[in-house]
Amino acid sequence: MALGIFLPVEIYAITVTGKVVDQMDEPLPGVSINVPGTGLATATNDDGTYTLQGVGERAQIRFSFIGAKPVVENVNGRSVINVKMVDDMQILDEVVVIGYGSAKAKDLTSPIAVVKGDAIATIPTPSPMNALQGKVTGVQVLSSGVPGGSPTIRVRGTGSFSDSSPLYVVDGVQYSDIGFLNNDDIEEISVLKDASASAIYGVKAANGVVLVTTKRGRHDMPARVTYNGYVGVQKVGKRLKMANSAEFATMLKEVDERAYRSVLMGSINLWGGDYDTNTFNADTDWYKELLRDAFITNHSLSISGGSKKATYSMGINYLSQDGIMDSDNNYSRWNLRGSLDYDVTSWLTTGFTTLISSSNSQNPQNGAWQFAYSTPSILPVYDENYADAYPVKYASAAQIGIVNNILNAVAMANYPNITNKGNQYLINYYANFKIIPEKLSFRTNYGRDFGSFSNRAFTPAYLVGPAQMSSTSNLSRSNTTYDNWSWENILTYKDKFGKHGVGAMVGYSMYQNKNWGNWSSSTEIPEGREEYWYVSNGNEETAKGGDSGYRERAQSVFARLNYDFDSRYLLMFTMRADGSSKYQQTWGYFPSVGAAWVISNEPFFKNVKNVDFLKLRASWGKLGNNKVAASDGFAAVRTGLAASGVFGNNTYTGYQNTVYYTDLDWEVVNETNVGVSVEMFNSRLQADLDYYYRLTENAIISAKIPFSPHSLAGNYGEIENSGLEFSANWTDRIGNFRYSVGGNLSWLHNRVKTLSGPHYIQTDYVRNQVGEKMNSFYGYKVIGIYQTEAEVAADPVAVTNGFKPGYLKFEDTNGDNVLDAKDYQILGSYIPDLTYGINIAIGYKNIDFAISGYGQAGAELYNAKRLYRRYSAYYNYDRDQVKYRWHGPGTSNTNPSAAALMNSWTTDTKNSYPVESADFFRIQNISLGYTFRNIKMGSYVMPSIRAYVNAERPFTFFSAHSFTPELPDPVGIDNEVYPLYGTYTFGLQIEF
Amino acid sequence: MKKHKYIIAAAGVALAMSVAVSSCDYLDIEPEMKVPEEQVDFTNTSEMYQAVSGVYAIVRTAGCHWPVNLVTVIRDGDVWSGRYDDQAEMVTVGCNYVYNNSHWAFNDIWVNHYTIIRIATEALKSLDEYAKYITNEADMKKYLSYCAEVRTIRAWAYYRLVQTFGDVTILRDPDQTDLQRSDKRLVYQYMLEGDLDYAWKYGEKLRPNEMEHIGAYTAYTARMIAAKVYLELGDYAKVEECTNDIITSRKFSLYPDFYQLFKIPGKLCDEKLMEVQCTDFGMGSGDIVDTGHFFILGGPGITSITDGRKINGWGFVGYTDKFLNWMKARGEKVRATTSVIYGGQMTPSYDFVDNAANSNNTNNWNGKWYVPMSQITPGRYQYGCANNVCVLRYAEVLLMNSEALVRQGKDGDAPFNLVRTRAEMNPITGVTLQDIIDERRMELCCEWGTRYADLLRYGLAEEFLGPNGWNPSRAYYPVPAEQLNESPELELPPLTH
Repeated sequence: MALGIFLPVEIYAITVTGKVVDQMDEPLPGVSINVPGTGLATATNDDGTYTLQGVGERAQIRFSFIGAKPVVENVNGRSVINVKMVDDMQILDEVVVIGYGSAKAKDLTSPIAVVKGDAIATIPTPSPMNALQGKVTGVQVLSSGVPGGSPTIRVRGTGSFSDSSPLYVVDGVQYSDIGFLNNDDIEEISVLKDASASAIYGVKAANGVVLVTTKRGRHDMPARVTYNGYVGVQKVGKRLKMANSAEFATMLKEVDERAYRSVLMGSINLWGGDYDTNTFNADTDWYKELLRDAFITNHSLSISGGSKKATYSMGINYLSQDGIMDSDNNYSRWNLRGSLDYDVTSWLTTGFTTLISSSNSQNPQNGAWQFAYSTPSILPVYDENYADAYPVKYASAAQIGIVNNILNAVAMANYPNITNKGNQYLINYYANFKIIPEKLSFRTNYGRDFGSFSNRAFTPAYLVGPAQMSSTSNLSRSNTTYDNWSWENILTYKDKFGKHGVGAMVGYSMYQNKNWGNWSSSTEIPEGREEYWYVSNGNEETAKGGDSGYRERAQSVFARLNYDFDSRYLLMFTMRADGSSKYQQTWGYFPSVGAAWVISNEPFFKNVKNVDFLKLRASWGKLGNNKVAASDGFAAVRTGLAASGVFGNNTYTGYQNTVYYTDLDWEVVNETNVGVSVEMFNSRLQADLDYYYRLTENAIISAKIPFSPHSLAGNYGEIENSGLEFSANWTDRIGNFRYSVGGNLSWLHNRVKTLSGPHYIQTDYVRNQVGEKMNSFYGYKVIGIYQTEAEVAADPVAVTNGFKPGYLKFEDTNGDNVLDAKDYQILGSYIPDLTYGINIAIGYKNIDFAISGYGQAGAELYNAKRLYRRYSAYYNYDRDQVKYRWHGPGTSNTNPSAAALMNSWTTDTKNSYPVESADFFRIQNISLGYTFRNIKMGSYVMPSIRAYVNAERPFTFFSAHSFTPELPDPVGIDNEVYPLYGTYTFGLQIEF
Repeated sequence: MKKHKYIIAAAGVALAMSVAVSSCDYLDIEPEMKVPEEQVDFTNTSEMYQAVSGVYAIVRTAGCHWPVNLVTVIRDGDVWSGRYDDQAEMVTVGCNYVYNNSHWAFNDIWVNHYTIIRIATEALKSLDEYAKYITNEADMKKYLSYCAEVRTIRAWAYYRLVQTFGDVTILRDPDQTDLQRSDKRLVYQYMLEGDLDYAWKYGEKLRPNEMEHIGAYTAYTARMIAAKVYLELGDYAKVEECTNDIITSRKFSLYPDFYQLFKIPGKLCDEKLMEVQCTDFGMGSGDIVDTGHFFILGGPGITSITDGRKINGWGFVGYTDKFLNWMKARGEKVRATTSVIYGGQMTPSYDFVDNAANSNNTNNWNGKWYVPMSQITPGRYQYGCANNVCVLRYAEVLLMNSEALVRQGKDGDAPFNLVRTRAEMNPITGVTLQDIIDERRMELCCEWGTRYADLLRYGLAEEFLGPNGWNPSRAYYPVPAEQLNESPELELPPLTH
């Protein structure tokens, strides 16, 4: 222990100077230097030198640098201390957080990916999971564009038709989403990918487990104050180009000039233009009208440190994000966190963590994007001469005779006012008993997560057109309160007998999730001030209200045993029993086993050069997925006005009692994983290769109910996911030049293995067929476009169905000259074959630069947007539909004519026209930083300031006629109209 | 060591608590909020009607969905879809008899009507559950008449299916796996024997507006549907019997004002045997319980000349010139002013009708779907707002009765002339089948596709519609591709016995 701390008085204080070099004797800038137990700290300059004043002559100085072994020097009265720091590439000595414990990375028997907090701290995303995009092999992150929105996460493919998001465990407490966390508060994220690592989480683990550790202090650590903040702008780069007025008119004239002349003339008569030359004064780019460059800023301040008996960490964070829609919409969040650990006695440590998160948002009217997409440009945004409109003079499609379906997108963005407020309180207490020091300990942990969300939606009285109006104001409010708690007790034992190492853990946990809420609404709310917006102020006769609630309980018992022999042979067993109140089947049992052979520790391997570490791993485990509903079906009894008959001027409370109801069981996943980890060339190269095979049993699949618009889910089949994951990273330093190059690749093979009963199960868009990818698109395959009347006449299919030149030509697979369901083929699936990420980081002296990319291949999406024309002939076209259309023999063999685009053979049959490639590659992040060290501010020396610029998602490359190939719909139906944006920030990281 | 005792004790207490908590029935909780089917309180027979009310609701939401209305009325040569610029394919469907079985509207009709059938069948099961707890005669009578109401609705849904698709599947049980279609005669037989005879036997012998639940369907509603079915089957003696049952009850009469019959004053009048009811509760804001777009579909823009209020519809569905000329040649009076409203003209209720914005589209619309601004609750802006959808009315009973008589060589003048005189037309003596089909064409124009059914029934479709492309193979709409894909047995030839 540091001797200085026990001395009552420092006898002399001296100034120490020196130079720090690396193992190649190159000066090393930016080395942190501190005197434990005092507040003294500095860092080396660009030439590796440092000066530290007021050091006790018998104190210790600690030198630390990322990637190097720390050095501790006793001063012993010296005034010059030069230090050489040796690279510490032994990352495998790192301790990794695993389920209910931790382990050395080299002792793991399963693939666990670790992302350090530093890697995501400066990435400008509202949710930490967004920042993982492309960073972890086998983890697919689909970002959402909504302010404050959380992404969709898929670990190792999709084995479930239900919610496939992983389980999050934050400091030991389980959550279904971590969107409330601030990137900078995170110390480390571990992603447990295979079954043997995650089986300890049993019924919740089938979609993978993400363990999050928030920042904590350390013993004997001087207070470390850091600030991390950025300001930036979110800007839409690429968006789908829509047709302009001239192009729109060209299309309509080609379909039926007689029918559409009046509407086109309507625009010209009211707002000007020339019919014959397709010139329109009204030529609105609705997206341009709706978009803005939106501001984002985030500020975090944190303090952490520790004394001999206690450690602490505190942080405050503010995030503010404006939406890219040019209307009032934004998200802001205040987070306060604190943690304290205290060694009460030599055998008892207690502590707690708290997080208070408070968010406010005004929601964008995302429906407006829909109309920016569909509303043709021949309508202006405003028309001052339009007498009917109030309070704002928005133009309406009704002015030119379009009375249904086409709405003014800008009006849509502005009229309803929807706000959300959320307050979340997360508290976690623990006590740790050391029963036998270093061997046997017991930990009890109580976590509580409670809070409330309230929502208010106010619509004023307004009129744009007959289909876009509200004759009275109305208001609806809802409040939801939730209160979840969990309690865990864990007994851990480890020991070593000669070459035999043993470890054991047994635990018990229980939790309850509960929420309840109420809602109310009324009309004729006084307008004007926001303070008037209460349901009580509205019309009493139209006021309504209701409430709802949910409660779920679970308890679990779990255990882990591990054994190692001479650090060569590693074995691990886990077992978990999960009980849940949610299902008919209450209890489930989830075992796993893992083994590893560290070849590099074998005597015969001693002479192998350049390989520092080599390990073979194999594991098997069983997991459950309880994200599936306990049952499917319409609410057993449907009630409400829509289920009530009218008799005279009143309704008689009715119900529709339907028996489309199945009890569902959780899905069960069996997974086998084999892998190899290797480190070579003095640990400069690290690589992992894993093969896995996952089989989802009891897979829940939705099947269409005959003669009904509904589908009903059942535990129908088995889904197989197998894949290969490879990641490699090369890190080296040549003098002042540091660099690393890394990449990861995941191949995924997804198939429906068996289905109980039918050969296939299908819904409107997708079919599950044995031997094909899950949720594959199906229908006729388009094999061209009919070019001439002669071609039509020669094809019996075309003659029978009255096809014309310009129509899609479908493949008649069985050659019976009839187009029917027998001609349907599998047309693709949204599940990619390959996902990949690359990253390159370079540092030279004080400059750092990094770039990363991310992509997927082998996936298709279903561009349902292009079929909306079935609902209205006046829907706008995307520009390529116009540009590449068939308009005469030889003009196109892939894109139908304007008339065909409006025909039900294109819009209503199942066919491959809307199926497009969902492959993409994205430059995920580019950052450039410069670090200033030892900035003197009077007598105070600030250790470091890093200034950086960062571009998140600046470029995305894809071919689909979509706003983004990353769809929230799990089966890949593209209804997305939300433009994709990049975030460009300038930030500072300051260490005080 | 001494301190170990404390540590072990503390840990032990914690573990003991875990065990204690877990040993009680910690997981044995009921889900919140859920009222499973088993827990509908079937012993509370006073709630029996709730199940029935739900069936009326599905007729309103599914049976009157706007595409159902559009596709039903557009193919008789008198009425067309009215718009070249939107849903343009409906022009070819209705005027040229070219059908793409993938068209979404066909599937919509198929699915909606089978949904009514499913919900009705489930409601009957629920009623049977209540019946187990019925202890008195009065409740038993209610049970029987409630079942009669539900069966009437189910039969009506089958009637609509056969009218639309011809041979369809009889869905005896919602879980039925064999979905092969039956010949339409077999379906009619099933409706008569299964539901309509029952409803005639146990239904209330009342007018709908006399019912406890006002406007609910009665034994006479079922009898009228039966008459329509017998008419299709060509069993004129049964048509006469059924219509006589209704006529001789003396419960029904023609509403004197043909114009108001289709408007708010005619709601639940003595002529109506079946209406789909809607309401805005008489309030200018808040809930409205209606059919969605049933009327809006066929509405032009109208403006009240008294207060300037404006309402817009979608402008679909208009009469052909051929029909309008025929109507004028007949010298029609109130039926002409009621059945058609013209763009650029004033309605009898002093609303100005906007010209069609698009001059290629229809510039006249179905006046029977028009509700004057003066009858619409202030604050509401929906075309036809809160009006009931008229499905079956007494005038058709009289015309069916007349036809049955004439077909059997009897005198059909009396019932026939009741209809004619109400319409301010001169009575005819020695009514012929031609007189009847013409009278039906006028009286029932644009009401649920009756004219098209008449053309098929009289064998006149070839003559009237053939020049436009009609042939017997196109008499019915095709079974939707979506359904063929899901249930390939629909391709099999229909069952005939």
